Amino acid sequence: MQQFTRRQFVTTATLATAGSLFPAQSNDTRARVAVVRNGEPPELVRQAIDMLGGISHFVQPGQSVLIKPNMSWDRLPEQAATTNPEAVAEVVRLCKQAGARLIRIVDRTCNRAERCYYRSGIEKAATAAGAQVRHVVPSRFVDTTIPNGSLLSTWPVYKDVLDVDVLINMPIAKHHTIPGVTLGMKNIMGLIGGDRGDLHVDFDVKITDLNTIIRPALTLVDAYRILRRNGPSGGSLEDVEEKRMVIAGIDPVATDARAVQLFGLEPDKIAYLVQAHKRGLGEVDLTKVAVHDYSF
Amino acid sequence: MRKARQLSQIFFLFLFFFLFLQARFPYERLLPSDLFLRSSPLIALTTFLSSWSLETKLVLGFIMLVLPLFLGRFFCGWICPLGTTLDFSDKVLFHSKHSRNKNVATSFRACKFVLLIALVVAALFSLQLVWFFDPVVILTRFSTLVLYPAFAVAAGSIFDAAFKLGIFEDQIYTLYHWAQKTILPVTPPHIIHGLPVLLLFLGILALGLVGRRFWCRAFCPLGALLGVFSKYRLLKRKVDSSCTSCSICYEKCRMHAIADDVTSTNPIECIECGECVDECPSHSISYGIDLPKQNVNSNVDLSRRRVIWASVGGLLGAIFVKTIHSGTEKTASVIRPPGAVPEALFLDKCIRCQACTRICASTGGCLQPSLAEAGLEGLWSPIVIPRLGYCEFNCTLCGQICPTGAIQPLTLEKKQQLKIGLAFIDQNRCIPWRENKDCLVCEEHCPLAEKAIKFDVREVRTNQGDRRVVRFPYVDENLCIGCGICETKCPVLGAPGIYLTAQNNQRIISVS
Repeated sequence: MQQFTRRQFVTTATLATAGSLFPAQSNDTRARVAVVRNGEPPELVRQAIDMLGGISHFVQPGQSVLIKPNMSWDRLPEQAATTNPEAVAEVVRLCKQAGARLIRIVDRTCNRAERCYYRSGIEKAATAAGAQVRHVVPSRFVDTTIPNGSLLSTWPVYKDVLDVDVLINMPIAKHHTIPGVTLGMKNIMGLIGGDRGDLHVDFDVKITDLNTIIRPALTLVDAYRILRRNGPSGGSLEDVEEKRMVIAGIDPVATDARAVQLFGLEPDKIAYLVQAHKRGLGEVDLTKVAVHDYSF
Repeated sequence: MRKARQLSQIFFLFLFFFLFLQARFPYERLLPSDLFLRSSPLIALTTFLSSWSLETKLVLGFIMLVLPLFLGRFFCGWICPLGTTLDFSDKVLFHSKHSRNKNVATSFRACKFVLLIALVVAALFSLQLVWFFDPVVILTRFSTLVLYPAFAVAAGSIFDAAFKLGIFEDQIYTLYHWAQKTILPVTPPHIIHGLPVLLLFLGILALGLVGRRFWCRAFCPLGALLGVFSKYRLLKRKVDSSCTSCSICYEKCRMHAIADDVTSTNPIECIECGECVDECPSHSISYGIDLPKQNVNSNVDLSRRRVIWASVGGLLGAIFVKTIHSGTEKTASVIRPPGAVPEALFLDKCIRCQACTRICASTGGCLQPSLAEAGLEGLWSPIVIPRLGYCEFNCTLCGQICPTGAIQPLTLEKKQQLKIGLAFIDQNRCIPWRENKDCLVCEEHCPLAEKAIKFDVREVRTNQGDRRVVRFPYVDENLCIGCGICETKCPVLGAPGIYLTAQNNQRIISVS
């Protein structure tokens, strides 16, 4: 299992390098990014995954899946600082239907883990749906080389990330002072060890470095409620806007780029997206990506 | 009788640790975690005297004084979790060493009454010292500051080792998760001053070298208080006429409560353990209800001279501690938990049981027992050490669990507005100020809806000569409530770039 995963990593890394040399071109008719509106969290994620080719496109029977929601803060779902628990539970159910052997959920939180897991509602909802919701065990971080790192050459990565077959990234769309917004690419910070405060200096380059080794097969941006101001932890309901949307994609950069527009921002003005595009992680120019829309 | 007593002791010891383990987020409980502390009449009495106010939670302690009127020191023999621990350690550690030593048997008995009087007098003069001697506090504090952290570390290393083996990973993960939900912490408590607490506890265990239950016999002031109320107890030891005066009971009595004539018992010392009943070869001993009558062997071992010395000692002790090393409001740099009453009253009420520290470890982890930070009088009182943990914005648990009202229970709304301190930025250390680079970790973590950390956005010229826009953080004094998460999370190593002070610290008189 581990060998396969490592090989997959090498392949991905190679492809990422190749991708920077050749612009992404695909004859695939599936959406690279799906935008779904006007629904409840479970139907939004279901529809989005269908538009990207269905869950069986991502999860094969017998595979293990790691879902990374954002449950970094001691907040309630209404406060839009953590991923919608019903959306997470629905993804768990879909993975189960696709025959996943194991579905695990972890997040290295900012507030105390026990509080975040509990109050975000994710622990309860996802456990009921059949996932293993686990706390981060500090000894399970593995120092991992970043072959194409620009500022970071190694960083501790959670072992579960390295072990599983499929990584599904489920951020919530929020304002954040440093990159401007926090979406999928920043959400993977919950899967790494080390002193994350250090990453805030020269954030754009470092977050891109990390995204070259942690590569989700699928990114689902929960925009059922979004946090417009005072992110990433928020707290005031006045800062929350009910969007009733999900933006999902195979290309992590394009998915974030589309989600950035929720905040009225231009993707090519967001430094980390520009950096990630330049480094070949995906497309920042949405006119070059198959973005499909759907509204309930 | 021995079987029944041991069952009761084990039951209450388990109950003690069960309740101890309840003290964690989200604190959904059937029984309050501080039940044992609340039921100590010594805590209720001295807290009442030192603070001259009666906390409703402590009423149970006074009610518990009714128990010895009927059952004598039943609590000591059948319930007290420290007593059970000592019975166990006496048996295991010092098994062969116990024989009745006539000199030691009764001569130290008076100490506990002297101690009791001194504690009560000191409390009257507003010095609360019960926390050093109350057995329930001693065990609660030891469990919180030493036993549980050690258990967590040990269990954590076992799981780490199991993970390293690389087999049955899923099962180990599941087992670990289950343990974290029940007996293990998710985040291991990080206690900095555990050593003196460990030494005190080991000292009490080591008293077993002198004799069984020597702590209870000689020093325990709670035992003394219960003993005084046991003088006319209804449940008594009875010896019938079949007694052969073999003296086995006399030899075996762990409290040395049986007089030389073998038949009379000192009700103030007897803890009704029933050892004599089980050991008696002629089955002559029983416990039964008997109306109070004057007993020849029931006087407290205390002369008038000793009472006076004890009182003077308590008074002098109070004056001594308050003058020699006392933390005053202005010089004290300590930050108290939210809901803490004003400092002088806080020290009168706080019994250093560490219940707040214990529950805090499961939410924000900011509370630590002080060593000298709050003065000698403030030893082991809870202080906020923000570099190690922060006061969780959505948490009010320390006030809910405090048995004496030193920390008042706040509503979440009130707590979120209450200022316990104020953060300051050290521009010599803060990354944006020092390196002209954005950092903003403090701002990211600030829990307020309108962040108390704001930015001064300026274009600067760096040392290399290029121009750059940098966000320099500063603290909005009107908004900051002093939760300290900025200091906890500051990525600067060692002394942080932003630090919490006691400035703006607001105290609560009473929530009611």
